[in-house]
Amino acid sequence: MRRFSAELLDRLAQEYALGTLHGGARRRFETLMRESAEVARAAAAWQQRLTRLAGSVPPIEPSSALWAGLQDQLFGAPAPSRKKRAWPWAAWGLPSLGGALAGAVLCVLVLQSQPQWLGRETVAADTLPASYVGLLADAAGTPSLLASATRQGRLLHVKLLQPLQVPAGQVARLYALPGDGRAPFAVGVVPASGKAALPLPDSAEHLFARVPRLGVRLEPAAPASPLPAPAAGNFAISGPCVKMW
Amino acid sequence: MTAPTGPTADLAALMARVALKDRAAFEQVYRLTSAHLLGLATRILGSTARAEEVLHEAYLNVWHAAGSYHAGIATPMTWLINVVRNKSIDALRSGASERASTVPLPEEGAEALAGAAEPELEPQRLFDRSVSQLKIDACMGQLSAQQRQALALAYYHGLMHSEIATRLGAPLGTAKAWVRRGLARLKDCLTAAGLEEAL
Repeated sequence: MRRFSAELLDRLAQEYALGTLHGGARRRFETLMRESAEVARAAAAWQQRLTRLAGSVPPIEPSSALWAGLQDQLFGAPAPSRKKRAWPWAAWGLPSLGGALAGAVLCVLVLQSQPQWLGRETVAADTLPASYVGLLADAAGTPSLLASATRQGRLLHVKLLQPLQVPAGQVARLYALPGDGRAPFAVGVVPASGKAALPLPDSAEHLFARVPRLGVRLEPAAPASPLPAPAAGNFAISGPCVKMW
Repeated sequence: MTAPTGPTADLAALMARVALKDRAAFEQVYRLTSAHLLGLATRILGSTARAEEVLHEAYLNVWHAAGSYHAGIATPMTWLINVVRNKSIDALRSGASERASTVPLPEEGAEALAGAAEPELEPQRLFDRSVSQLKIDACMGQLSAQQRQALALAYYHGLMHSEIATRLGAPLGTAKAWVRRGLARLKDCLTAAGLEEAL
């Protein structure tokens, strides 16, 4: 094994631990770590030091799919959220969803043309991943906004199908409208046109499982006091939120 | 090194059981560590979805290679953080060319950047908060703002020297020197604070 001076070994170890050692040098150093206890100790010492910097990073609770996927791969345990790829149309409860069907068909067309909207999940050519999809229309029934999030995802992708008329000093805020008596809750501010990805505080499954509708309300950008929860009829656009599985 | 106590000892005991293929211990390790590790990976990758992919690989590694963890060299959390940071950095760099050839949504990765939009979650703020918690802020304060920023970008965002140089508008050699000086100072400050040994 190649011998390093103490100074060079310390420098390589610190760069490896920090991550600034890259490419082939990184791989070669890992080989040396396996071959030499001295090199492994040098790297571990720097890893210990740098671990001190990790304490300030806010934790993020993983989606339930992560543990389910691990169990599935390691132990063969069932992981329903990853295995259920079929498209059971009948399970949608179509009659109760009214215009959802037309919206969903449009969603399929858009999603097929915009596969990156589905995140990094591997999608077979003839199936779509389990997702929540919303199609919001204006008072005239014109589709205006498409929203989608994978079932366990923490991003809601929105696309404006026609520009929203947002007065100066106001924002267009997207609300989830639960169907179980809970008050509407804000999801995020959508742009007047184009696309956006709204971060979700929890998985789409957790947030939208009992949300049959979405709505966008125009609000002051910086209200002087907290705004009351929106009531039905307050929305510039609204529409069904459906499960795509 | 004194014998670890508290959560570190618990985690070390659990890791020893994982090495013996104890599924319950594996689940406990996961429950105790995954949120913290996902936070770290998300900072590096800028996407919780990508970070979860990395964690999936990392925990497979934990299950299969827990026996390679040596309690005498590093704490279990350090070992786990190293596994996740390495995989995150690999994913970050392997994905760089892919990202460069695609047109992302303007807000792609916004789930993590949502945090960055909050001042306390910016790398520099994370760094400052860490050194404050360690009570070495006065000692680390002898570094320039750029030296601290260079170290923070490398650690929390997994940036290479060239990327740090670009981000901070400095020559490559200067960026390297900032990082090196920052690390040396960190070591000195931890030593002076008596934090070099027992984690």
